[in-house]
Amino acid sequence: MASSNDKTIESGARRQALKNGLRVGALMGAAGGAGLTVSGRAAAEASPDPLITEVQDWNRFMGDGVDANPYGKPSVHESDAVRRTVSWLTAENKSSINFTPLHKLDGIITPNGLCFERHHGGVATIAPSDHRLMINGLVDTPLVFTMEDLQRFPRENHVYFLECAANSGMEWRGAQLNGCQFTHGMVHNVMYTGVKLKHLLAEAGVSPRGKWLLPEGADPSHMTRSIPMEKAMDDCMVVFKMNGEALRPEQGYPLRLVVPGWEGNMWVKWLRRLEVGDKPWHHREETSKYTDLLADGTARRFTWTMDVKSIITNPSPQAPILHGRGRTVVTGLAWSGHGTVSRVDVSIDGGRNWKTARLDGPSLSKSLHRFYHEFDWDGSELFLQSRAIDEKRQVQPSKEALRKARGTNSIYHNNGIQTWHIRPDGSAENVEVS
Amino acid sequence: MRNSSGNSFMQRSALLTLIMGAALLSAAARVSAAGDADAGKKLFPQCAACHAVGEGARHLYGPMLNGVTERPAASAEGYSYSDAMKRSVEEGLVWDDATLDAYLESPMSYISGTKMAFAGIPDEGQRQDMVAFLKRIATDGTGVVEEISQAEQADSSPVAEEEPRPLARDTVVPEHGVLHLGRAALPEEVAAWDIDIRPDGQGLPAGSGSVEAGVDIYDTQCAMCHGVFGEGEGRWPVLAGGFDSLTDERPEKTVGSYWPYLSTVFDYVRRAMPFGNARSLSDDEVYSLTAYLLYLNDLVDEEFTLSAGNFDAIAMPNVDHFIDDDRMEEPQYAAIEEPCMQDCLPGSAVVTQRARILDVTPDGGGDDDAAGGSID
Ligand code: HEC
Ligand code: HEC
Repeated sequence: MASSNDKTIESGARRQALKNGLRVGALMGAAGGAGLTVSGRAAAEASPDPLITEVQDWNRFMGDGVDANPYGKPSVHESDAVRRTVSWLTAENKSSINFTPLHKLDGIITPNGLCFERHHGGVATIAPSDHRLMINGLVDTPLVFTMEDLQRFPRENHVYFLECAANSGMEWRGAQLNGCQFTHGMVHNVMYTGVKLKHLLAEAGVSPRGKWLLPEGADPSHMTRSIPMEKAMDDCMVVFKMNGEALRPEQGYPLRLVVPGWEGNMWVKWLRRLEVGDKPWHHREETSKYTDLLADGTARRFTWTMDVKSIITNPSPQAPILHGRGRTVVTGLAWSGHGTVSRVDVSIDGGRNWKTARLDGPSLSKSLHRFYHEFDWDGSELFLQSRAIDEKRQVQPSKEALRKARGTNSIYHNNGIQTWHIRPDGSAENVEVS
Repeated sequence: MRNSSGNSFMQRSALLTLIMGAALLSAAARVSAAGDADAGKKLFPQCAACHAVGEGARHLYGPMLNGVTERPAASAEGYSYSDAMKRSVEEGLVWDDATLDAYLESPMSYISGTKMAFAGIPDEGQRQDMVAFLKRIATDGTGVVEEISQAEQADSSPVAEEEPRPLARDTVVPEHGVLHLGRAALPEEVAAWDIDIRPDGQGLPAGSGSVEAGVDIYDTQCAMCHGVFGEGEGRWPVLAGGFDSLTDERPEKTVGSYWPYLSTVFDYVRRAMPFGNARSLSDDEVYSLTAYLLYLNDLVDEEFTLSAGNFDAIAMPNVDHFIDDDRMEEPQYAAIEEPCMQDCLPGSAVVTQRARILDVTPDGGGDDDAAGGSID
């Protein structure tokens, strides 16, 4: 009896000491930002953790009841998990971009409020009862649908990533922005509910001469892109829900186009019209923009697919290692516009040696994949890289290989391997290594 | 422009002033007496696409019609009437049974130039019902549904009675398609939205515009952002110059140096510019601006006039320098091979570049203009 009691007390004290150690470590981390690390052993000698020994406010006083937030919000302690912009990129914010805080997220789904935004004429505000979708051009019957009409087609649910073709575009000439939010945050991954485009087109009856489709938005930019009919008839969707709820206004409420695996600009928001034609239109967003200038002065056009890519989201410049040496979790995201990701390798020495990471969670075609690599960090500097391989056996290239093939003026489609330099104090910087 | 048909407003009102007031009044009384407001309400759906009535009604394409017979004609606050309508009011237009009857019979011939693009109600009885209905709707929006007397209210349900919904079996299922959903688009609707233009000229509207006409429009509506010479103010887009810069370290991609097709200029300016006031330019103005952008890029002289007729005669300098996507032929993709796992590179990693200008990261508070990258 006595001995078992002793044991309980002893193990309780050990747990307490451990927690104190963690607590102090966390405090140090929070206070010092990147400056750490505290030895767990030394902290174990410290006094008991008041968070445990004292009754806290939240232990005693009741908080909000139901309905304090009819539409729930994140904890006040998560105020840092927000989209951010880079003000110098564009002249003003009606035609601009912000970035998903990838380093704050886990799993594969991006919460609706954190999906990055890119607009060309501000966020259109449209009452669903005022919205119309027209199909015209080379069809048997030009049609107009209301939102109610669209709800009567067979619905499907699919998870797809949307990546802006210019994601990582600022890094072509070298490491520039410090944080995966800025280098890789023009991507999000959402479960969409909507209708396959082929059902809508069948309703209008596409002429055999109809080889191209022009979607158009209802916002002041009247965004248009040319999409080949095979893609339109394959997996494209017209959607009204994201992650179970109505599209957010900034994502095209009440209706947007989904073009799985292809560059985000084609996913026309506030979709109001689909025109069938026999040739592409060569509109502004497929000539002046979204063409990839090569070193010799020629430019590639119609570079639609987003190639295989990955990024380590933690640790990263905005999320340094705060816990000192020992067990460390490296995690990140991988995706490919060609299908599923079959493997992700991680290197901690700048690409000399690679270990295959653990993919976890659903592996869906043209969706983000989550990977983890757990290891014991000895506290020395690291050059962290990740390399994704997709189901077509395409391997994510190095930035050097891309520059050799294309030069540095392509802006779009930079899927090169990213390097984070982890310093002995756990802080991280965006670097390039040889 | 005044319509010459016999029942235009001017002629009619002139005629009416010659007639004794009493006669006018009795004529009006006769029209109104014949109308059945409830029957008028049933006809209102043909107006509802453009007009709202009832409490909290807003302006749609047409003004909201609460109390329209109690207010002066063309006086709904916050609604922008056509010049034709405003002129008619100056000339003495007042909404009464007779004038409303005439307007609703044929809006566009009664007030030539009115924005009310509605064919009219040919049937006199129906017009009288409609006028009676409009007169019943008070300024606060009550009267859409007939007020129920207190006695009646007592034994009916407290909820205002709604139109009985049509029975599902009576609704019309369209013929087209597989699932028979949606409705046929009207030619006017397709014309209103289908504004796209292709390099082969498909979609170009009738009209023309000269460099000379373009100067003024550009200077007043475009230059504040794009610069007087198309050089771009601040970070607003550059529209001219940059020739032979595409292989430079900092290429300047402009309409002249980069865009492969002229149709794209017309299409884009018409659909999206001026920024903040899209779709406000006439087709001739867009022709003029397109001509002027050619001029700013030294591609035409100042005498030039652009039209659908000579559109395809203009070749853009960079048209032959676009190629289709051949990324999969690049060495890193073409050779599908297992990636190296061990001792892949010699020695240990050496940093060749650091986040180049740390300070360009937001919240870093550094020198914005030093940034080297771009997103579009
Ligand atoms: C196609 C849209 C459209 C339809 C349909 C339409 N109207 Fe109009 N209506 C307008 C517009 C636009 C104006 C403003 C006219 C102007 O400024 O020239 C207007 C003006 C009016 C006015 C004068 C309002 C004022 O403030 O002086 C009345 C009355 C009117 N409409 C009644 C009707 C009725 C009744 C119907 C249905 C039988 C109808 N309209 C159908 C568009 C429409
Ligand atoms: C308030 C500032 C502003 C005004 C005024 C303005 N623009 Fe623009 N313009 C822009 C912006 C911003 C963009 C880029 C929009 C985007 O990418 O979404 C742009 C893009 C363009 C482009 C495409 C540039 C490229 O390289 O792709 C053309 C051509 C153009 N404008 C022409 C015009 C013309 C012609 C006018 C006058 C009728 C005009 N703009 C008025 C701000 C302006």
